[in-house]
Amino acid sequence: MADLWSLIILDPMLNGLLALSGVLPREAQFGLAIIILTVVVRLASTPLVLRQLKSTKAMQDMQPKLQELQKKYAKNKQKLQQEMMKVYKEAGVNPIGCMWPMLVQFPIWIALYQSIMKALATTPENLLDLSRHLYSWEIVNQTIPVNSHFLWLDLGQPDHTLVLAVLVGGTMWLQQKMTTAPSLDPRQQSTSKMMLLMMPFMFGMFTLMFPSGLPLFWLASNVIGIVTQYFVTGGWGYLKAPPSAHPGLRGGR
Amino acid sequence: MKVRVLACLGIFCFLALSATGCVSSGGQQGYSGVVPHDGILYLGSMDGKIMAANASARSEELPFPSADGEWSFAITVPSKSILSCGSSSKPDSIYATPLVVDGSVCVGTYGGKVLMLRSSARNQDLSFPHLRSGEWIYPRTEDVIGPIVGSPVVVNDTVYVCSSDGKVYALDITYGDEKWISAPLGDKLWTTPMVKDEAIYVSTFDGHIYALSAEDGNLLPWVFEAETGFVSSPVLYEDIVFVGSFDSKLHAVRIGDDKPLWEFLGGNWFWAAPLVSDGIVYAGCLDGKVYALDTERGKESWEFDTGGRIVSSPILVDDSLVVATEPGNVFVINPKTGSGEMIANPDDSQNGKSLIDARIQSALCVLDGIVYIRAQDNCLYAVDVAKREIKLKFSLA
Repeated sequence: MADLWSLIILDPMLNGLLALSGVLPREAQFGLAIIILTVVVRLASTPLVLRQLKSTKAMQDMQPKLQELQKKYAKNKQKLQQEMMKVYKEAGVNPIGCMWPMLVQFPIWIALYQSIMKALATTPENLLDLSRHLYSWEIVNQTIPVNSHFLWLDLGQPDHTLVLAVLVGGTMWLQQKMTTAPSLDPRQQSTSKMMLLMMPFMFGMFTLMFPSGLPLFWLASNVIGIVTQYFVTGGWGYLKAPPSAHPGLRGGR
Repeated sequence: MKVRVLACLGIFCFLALSATGCVSSGGQQGYSGVVPHDGILYLGSMDGKIMAANASARSEELPFPSADGEWSFAITVPSKSILSCGSSSKPDSIYATPLVVDGSVCVGTYGGKVLMLRSSARNQDLSFPHLRSGEWIYPRTEDVIGPIVGSPVVVNDTVYVCSSDGKVYALDITYGDEKWISAPLGDKLWTTPMVKDEAIYVSTFDGHIYALSAEDGNLLPWVFEAETGFVSSPVLYEDIVFVGSFDSKLHAVRIGDDKPLWEFLGGNWFWAAPLVSDGIVYAGCLDGKVYALDTERGKESWEFDTGGRIVSSPILVDDSLVVATEPGNVFVINPKTGSGEMIANPDDSQNGKSLIDARIQSALCVLDGIVYIRAQDNCLYAVDVAKREIKLKFSLA
């Protein structure tokens, strides 16, 4: 299974990343290659992302109706399920429809993450392992070992200046804030508040721990996510909107 | 509600911080080789210990250390995690094969220290460094230099060692004083330097072979530049440097020349430093083959396919060439004809698996016809080449 994963997904992406590094200026080759490949992967998965965004929005718009149903059929779970399915059907929404585009993207992101970590080859064992995955392309051979310096970062080492951690945490918070609809349900409110803080905090912490090539990939991914979100949904989304401004919530009161 | 949110957030923060403290930052295990001296085997273990084992007295049942001349010394480095898991230090990793000089053991660590250990002091378990015994550590303060992967080399009264900060360090053998530090020569120097005629030769990941003055570390006029980086440690034979590169070639470069004497293309990297003897280069390759090449022309005499990646350098034992493969097999090859056989790797009676059931990445050594191998299961194996059998397995943990 691991061999199949390497053959079909990991090795092509890793060699692609190294080949891309080979054509970029040596001074910033690997940092730029990470950013460019992240953009390419994001662009390639745009149809999936758009589908996911539409499904998520449709689900959010249905929330008041669903809440009403939950109140109405609180004691009859079977009826509740039936009514909810009716609402989904009428709106043309599959409740797990917003999940599968995300699931399809997972292997690609995991492969990209693995490619970055393998290409950086920070330890002798990593470098030795890298030799298992390389194509005999001249450009790949000439790129190894990659120049891990990019701006102030050594991409093979964690960034202890806190700058990258703040950028990763900040952009992640911004992206989440733009996409997370405020809720009037106190339980949901506290959960979403917690998630809004926890994820950026956690990734900020990871930034201090992992070789900075990986946080650079997170940062690039977050920025692309913010830009996509801005243009696709038209503006800053829920970043500026107060809870009462959410049409779905208004309708539910 | 606020209290609940804060409590959850606190728990989450604690878990996140704990995770950052407990996750290993590098995953490096080290693959220090074994070196014999006066019947004692010196090696680095996978848990950061320098160990001295008595080759003739050692057996699986005998507690360690107990035989004459045996000792072990744990090298630790401060834990750099934000929150450490209980202790503020962790075992260092040792890639370099130790060097034994006049009863002292010199080793460089991945944590960026060079240590000179005296067997007499370690036998008595005196505090380190025991200055009166001639022990030292470099740097003396809590500072470190870049991670050390290649082995140190001693010539006259100087220890030369390469570091991942791209510099070569020359240290006084008696006190560990710094004699000179070279200018950075590249991104990382994971190689063992070569010293000949007052000059030090190092190969770099960016494809250069530099010559430095052994006296002051200044660059000498000759520099060789290749199209791709060099992956293996260089080996010097007469006035020819043999070194493997990232484009799967073995290069032979005559000192002073701008162009290689010859290049030989393998099926993967020549990770292990080649062995050169009597005008023949024996080079193990990650494609699983051992190549025998003429030193002057690079003409192939023979090749032997082991079927497994070769990470450790081959060694000569009497009239046989011994090669260990990464999957854990040991081969004995006739260096003249290239014919060879695998040493039987019988099942271990304790677990039913092959006796050597671990990767072999460390340098091999030979003592009295016995080849000693430290495998990545942190065990030391003794292989009797004449009898073609594995005669000892000894856990270093």
